[in-house]
Amino acid sequence: MAGFLKVLFRNLLEGPSTDPFPLGETFTPDRLRGKAVVDPDLCMGCGICRHSCAAGAINITPLPDRKGFTITIWQNSCCLCASCRHYCPTGAMSITTNWHTAHPESEKFNRIEQHTIHYEPCAGCGELMRPLPKKLAEKLYAYNDEIDRELTRRLCPKCRQLEDAKRNACVLPAASGEAEAKGVTSAAPTKD
Amino acid sequence: MSLDNMLKKLSVRSPWLFRINAGSCNGCDVELATTACIPRYDVERLGCRYCGSPRHADIVLVTGPLTTRVRDRVLRVWNEIPEPKVTVAVGICPISGGVFREGYSIEGPLDRYIPVDVNVPGCPPRPQAILEAVVLARSIWLKKLGVEE
Repeated sequence: MAGFLKVLFRNLLEGPSTDPFPLGETFTPDRLRGKAVVDPDLCMGCGICRHSCAAGAINITPLPDRKGFTITIWQNSCCLCASCRHYCPTGAMSITTNWHTAHPESEKFNRIEQHTIHYEPCAGCGELMRPLPKKLAEKLYAYNDEIDRELTRRLCPKCRQLEDAKRNACVLPAASGEAEAKGVTSAAPTKD
Repeated sequence: MSLDNMLKKLSVRSPWLFRINAGSCNGCDVELATTACIPRYDVERLGCRYCGSPRHADIVLVTGPLTTRVRDRVLRVWNEIPEPKVTVAVGICPISGGVFREGYSIEGPLDRYIPVDVNVPGCPPRPQAILEAVVLARSIWLKKLGVEE
């Protein structure tokens, strides 16, 4: 009897527990997995999202002139597993909390997330490449202040190797043995 | 307002739902049960309720990627639902095949065989999204009946 009264009073005080949703506002948890989006500034086109996508909802196609690529997510095939977000090395993939997915049949093939990303010329040799995202470059070279991040992130791998070689060459021990190397500016191992 | 019109308006307050499992993993079915059976989401506020017979249904909710084994049965049950009916594809499986797409036993997507009216993707969609789809389906149903514009 007492238990029943407790429930009765709670219901009187707190009102019904029904979510007023189609007629009113509802709640959205912070970590709800809704629509998947990709940030075109961060995406490198490495394709790990396409590889890890369980539903095959992600496609990456190079442009016909090979000057970039198009990344497409088909929302109607995405199973919201968030593997793409987990494996994306640059953090370009994210899952928003937008769960408003119901749509009429006529919009079925419009529900895509698509970005066309163009390559940029390398600052050294001018070959087309995708520059490293700034955030990633800062993370990579966080312990090496001598490296110009803004320049390095715009270099192709070959030019980056050349830059690294130039930087290290001047601190290698001299052949005569008189002038000792004072320090190493790169993480690369040197003969010593 | 004539009696005929009044009856027509009054009788369309409650579209009944029917659920077809076309080879679903049961995830979406659980969400459908949640939408209807627990007081928090309570689809019966909209006048909807699940019925046991396809002959009583107005809105049909289909889950699952339409496997070869259930295809003919789904079509048979679907054809027993009287017109006008609204078909709702619940979850990514009936819409695109989802994670089972291009499987050897998958005949879907559903709209190869059945004209679908509303899609609600998700794996599974949350109960609020299903409620949204039911509201959308209800407005399409009213249009088909000629009650709304």
